[in-house]
Amino acid sequence: MSYNLLKGKRGIIFGALDENSIAWKTAERVHEEGGTFVLTNAPIAMRMGSIKQLAEKTGSEIIPADATKVEDLDNLVEKAQEILGGKLDFVLHSIGMSVNVRKGNHYTDMNYDYTQKGWDVSAVSFHKTMQSLYKQDAMNEWGSIVALTYMAAQRVFPDYNDMADNKAYLESIARSFGYFFGKDKKVRVNTISQSPTPTTAGQGVKGFDGFIAYADKMSPLGNATAMDCANYTISLFSDLTKRVTLQNLYNDGGFSNMGVSQEVMETFMKDNE
Amino acid sequence: MSDIASRVKAIIVDKLGVDENEVVNEASFTNDLGADSLDTVELIMEFEKEFDIQIPDDQAENIATVGQAVSYIENAK
Repeated sequence: MSYNLLKGKRGIIFGALDENSIAWKTAERVHEEGGTFVLTNAPIAMRMGSIKQLAEKTGSEIIPADATKVEDLDNLVEKAQEILGGKLDFVLHSIGMSVNVRKGNHYTDMNYDYTQKGWDVSAVSFHKTMQSLYKQDAMNEWGSIVALTYMAAQRVFPDYNDMADNKAYLESIARSFGYFFGKDKKVRVNTISQSPTPTTAGQGVKGFDGFIAYADKMSPLGNATAMDCANYTISLFSDLTKRVTLQNLYNDGGFSNMGVSQEVMETFMKDNE
Repeated sequence: MSDIASRVKAIIVDKLGVDENEVVNEASFTNDLGADSLDTVELIMEFEKEFDIQIPDDQAENIATVGQAVSYIENAK
């Protein structure tokens, strides 16, 4: 369903790899709501995925950028404004990668070069993006910047490995930069803490199926899907949430405030019979 | 070892962080050298850059071992 919530709004969407990506669904929803945008991803992710199809479908241009490189981001922000015909109203940061997770390094046996790469890609890239937007004065007043995160930033999920720390760093950057963006430019900055979602990136986490099933059984509304996340993001890009900022917002079917659910309890009661 | 073979092997050692001795012709990137899907695409892109060639996706899918990479590049040059 379309509400025309983003009519006339312009933005940048990072991180659409394939149709399972949250960024992909968000791009489709922004398009339906009347917004225009530039898509971006790392050259390698563009090669792996199918971002060109999304660009065709939504009438968007793609500007490749390595989100750890300041010059790439500066170019992206400048070009996006040229292509879209003015300052920006929304930005979605949907980027994360841990080399330690990919290589199967245990949390207690990290390779710190990998750790550094992981936080640069997953967290500092958000600062770099915002710094570029801020310095170029590229955001319109009451614009909205959103990054995607996961609850492992607050609670322990052992297999989430160093991504937990990267997400904590990301959420802190959202608050710290969000202060200056709010004060100086009237722009809001938030993170959405999403249910575990079966995307290409998510599937890299060990034991991911069990992880998803558990979260689903614990949540009174069940896991939020990629489309649920896209819809929530749309609301945060819209003018209906103008004074929501510096928040980490849970889109998780209620999981984050649960202790135990009937279904999870029953699993253990059966085991004891 | 040919010049191409030694350059290919150097890229693999650097990108996958593996020991030079493991990078034998028969070694599979994913099964023997611990590469994931992102690594294999990254390797293909590095080969393209190093040797100034284009490797189409449908052909990249057939490059699964060190030896296959070397012979593909030797033929492409």
